[in-house]
Amino acid sequence: MNDTFDTLVNALLAAGLYAVMSYGLALIYGVLKIINLANAGVLMLGAYATWWMWSAWHVDPLLAPLIVIPVFFVFGVAIERTLVARVLGQDPIVSLLLLFGLWLVLQNVAYLAFTGDTRSIDDAFIDATFRFGDMQVPWPRVYVFAMGVLSLVALEAFLTRTQLGRAIRAIAQDRDAAKLIGVDVARVNAVAFGLGIAFAAFAGSLLALIFSFGPDFGRTLQLKSFCIVVLGGLDSIVGVAFGSIALAIAEGFGLRYMPASLQNLISFVVLVVVLIAFPKGISGMIRSVRNARDRA
Amino acid sequence: MPATVRKLVAGLVLLAAAAAVPAVVPGWEYALDTLFIVYLYGALALGWNILGGFAGQISFGHAAFVGIGAYATALLAGRGIPLWLAIPAGGLLAAAFSLAIGPPTFRLRGPYFAIATIGIGEATRLIALNWTALTGGASGLTLAFAPGIVPQYYGALALCTGAVLLSWWIVTSRFGMALAAIRSDPEAAATLGVQTTIAKTQALLLSAFVCGLGGGVYAIHYLFISPDSVFGFSLSISLIIMPIVGGIGTVAGPVLGSVIYTFIREQLEANFQNLDLLAFGLLLMAIVLFEPLGLIGAFDRFTRKRTAPMPPPVRSAGAGDG
Amino acid sequence: MAEPLLSGRGLAKRFGGLLAVSDVNVDVFAGEIFGLIGPNGAGKSTLFRLLAGILPPTAGSVFLDGRAITGIGAARVCAAGVVATHQIVRPFRSMTVVENVMVGAFFGERPRPRLRSQAHALAMDALERCALADRAEQPARALNLPGLKRLEIARALATNPRVLLLDEVLAGLNPTETDRTVELIHAIRDAGTTIVLVEHNLRAVRGLCSRLAALVQGAKVAEGEPAAVLADPVVVDAYIGRSTLVAPR
Repeated sequence: MNDTFDTLVNALLAAGLYAVMSYGLALIYGVLKIINLANAGVLMLGAYATWWMWSAWHVDPLLAPLIVIPVFFVFGVAIERTLVARVLGQDPIVSLLLLFGLWLVLQNVAYLAFTGDTRSIDDAFIDATFRFGDMQVPWPRVYVFAMGVLSLVALEAFLTRTQLGRAIRAIAQDRDAAKLIGVDVARVNAVAFGLGIAFAAFAGSLLALIFSFGPDFGRTLQLKSFCIVVLGGLDSIVGVAFGSIALAIAEGFGLRYMPASLQNLISFVVLVVVLIAFPKGISGMIRSVRNARDRA
Repeated sequence: MPATVRKLVAGLVLLAAAAAVPAVVPGWEYALDTLFIVYLYGALALGWNILGGFAGQISFGHAAFVGIGAYATALLAGRGIPLWLAIPAGGLLAAAFSLAIGPPTFRLRGPYFAIATIGIGEATRLIALNWTALTGGASGLTLAFAPGIVPQYYGALALCTGAVLLSWWIVTSRFGMALAAIRSDPEAAATLGVQTTIAKTQALLLSAFVCGLGGGVYAIHYLFISPDSVFGFSLSISLIIMPIVGGIGTVAGPVLGSVIYTFIREQLEANFQNLDLLAFGLLLMAIVLFEPLGLIGAFDRFTRKRTAPMPPPVRSAGAGDG
Repeated sequence: MAEPLLSGRGLAKRFGGLLAVSDVNVDVFAGEIFGLIGPNGAGKSTLFRLLAGILPPTAGSVFLDGRAITGIGAARVCAAGVVATHQIVRPFRSMTVVENVMVGAFFGERPRPRLRSQAHALAMDALERCALADRAEQPARALNLPGLKRLEIARALATNPRVLLLDEVLAGLNPTETDRTVELIHAIRDAGTTIVLVEHNLRAVRGLCSRLAALVQGAKVAEGEPAAVLADPVVVDAYIGRSTLVAPR
């Protein structure tokens, strides 16, 4: 009984990180209709940036996002304007390959700059825990979970209450209609991409609090992100939240029955099962049902 | 058709030259070794190109087939099966595996296909890593015996030549025309009588078979294989980079890509660990942005066969299938 | 009366809550040019796709020469001898004009040619019939709209169909091009192919078709000689009524 409770709590906390990691993917797909394969690379760079600021300048890792987020937002906008915008009109595979190339570049820039050694942040906060029932819960995980929830709330508020957010939702729903009502698609594309990158970097910042990492770290997490967006919907923020929880719970319970090294296999299995059952992804299926119902 | 004859003659000349190398430079192991890698990776790139270039289904997890071929060969050789049986068995096993994963993956639309291929590549690696009883886990497998560098050289050359001939046959055949139609517009192709799923599955089988054979050849050269080396994402990446840089969907492109890939790797890997991958990332981005048809496309343009870059010949996998 | 070549019985198609086609029976006889008309949204394109095997029906069956071909998929329907063109042209953009038509030549007619040279010859035949032979080696992208429409037809012809279904093939053409295409359609019928047309151009339909069926809101409301159908008050009302600009609240 207690064991289940522990697993659930751990899963919930893990879900927070997964969610922040995946919001960016969903945002970018919703607006630009492309999969950001460079997500993992940015994630990893965000982690490195945080680590480096802590190790070189003693910047508190909790404050690092204040720098990381704006910097990477600008970076994201620049990438969109200079590279992504050029290939948006073409077949989706082109943008996929472009961002894949970018991922390679980012990953190996990290290798060159930071070498392949594993890095981690050692801070009083990192090791702090508190009692919850009879569990020792690490503070960073709670913090990350809180950030996950906060991000969700902030993102939803942004999307529903600001003009820019509404423009994003309009484009995500129907790009042509949005153009007709005067939405500046180019500008929104740039902002959405920038936000997506900023989120990924923010997730990297949070990741640095929990894990030790190397340049390759992003890749496993990338697969989990894909699994989450397939589960929850390629362009649905709330769906991402649910998908994160679902995956985290599946992993948590799976861990009890299989060795740790197989844990990553769980996300793949979930991915495959879901894709076989719902070739359009779960959100695609929901959308089909909704469309059919609306036509009645 | 003079163009075809010219290409045939050029190909034969190259083949003769390649076959003569061990005789002309006996004992120069470095040359034989490097050319071996060019042929092997050329074959792998051609294998990938059958599915990715001709059929337009871009796979990010093709190392799965290479790995299966490599491990099958290693395990069979370890049980005393002669190599001339073990390597083709590896190829067949890889093809059989592709038959299992093909139908469900081909149902996937748009980006889901790409994601699925990444997942498949990773999954096979994880399985190889954890199924220690069969694969030796992270410690990998070693081969006790392998033929000398000269037989290996000819083996790789034969594989590469075979892959080139197969690709050439596809490009000039009815089957190739079906794939080109599917690549362009699967639904329209279906209304004209093209059996799209069958054709894609056939392309996948051929692609997996060639890559499986390549895995076997890899195993007998390096004598040591591990999940990260033959199932690794880096290998999957290289299988994409080579054809795209050289010229996706052509016959010469993947081989050209292999030459460039091997050259860059040789030059850069010695000095900096990951500079080669960085170079490839940049190269990939440049190709995608400026010359989607790769170096062959650029060459065609400069010989004024076309006046403007053609749109990329591939279509996102699974999109709008009939 | 002879047996129909292509017929639909009790065809219905539902998309979620919308019934696009309901309980339609239609017969097309060999050698005729059969027209499907109706206002926008009447379901004629959907019925067209059901007959062509592009969409499976929710209910009902499609027969070719008495043999059921329902739900066997577009590729096999084409092999059986029924081929359709698309309302929005879909050329294979990365191929040349003749290569586009070779796809039809390779995969339509049985027995299928094995060699590219054979398919090339068949393709050139089809291109000649559609007055596109001089543009055979050009990339398909280089054609203008009338050319692309004729390419669609040539490609379909190369499959050597028994029934050719044309989806709004006259849309977007100027009067000269329309006349040329009408001539082409007549020539195709005269060469032995049965034709089914979906068309908005009622003037052309009157001159072209031997028989018409009119669909309104998914149901067949009239059938017969063009003059009679076009004068039918239900049909007239459907068209005129739809053309008022203000929708009643």
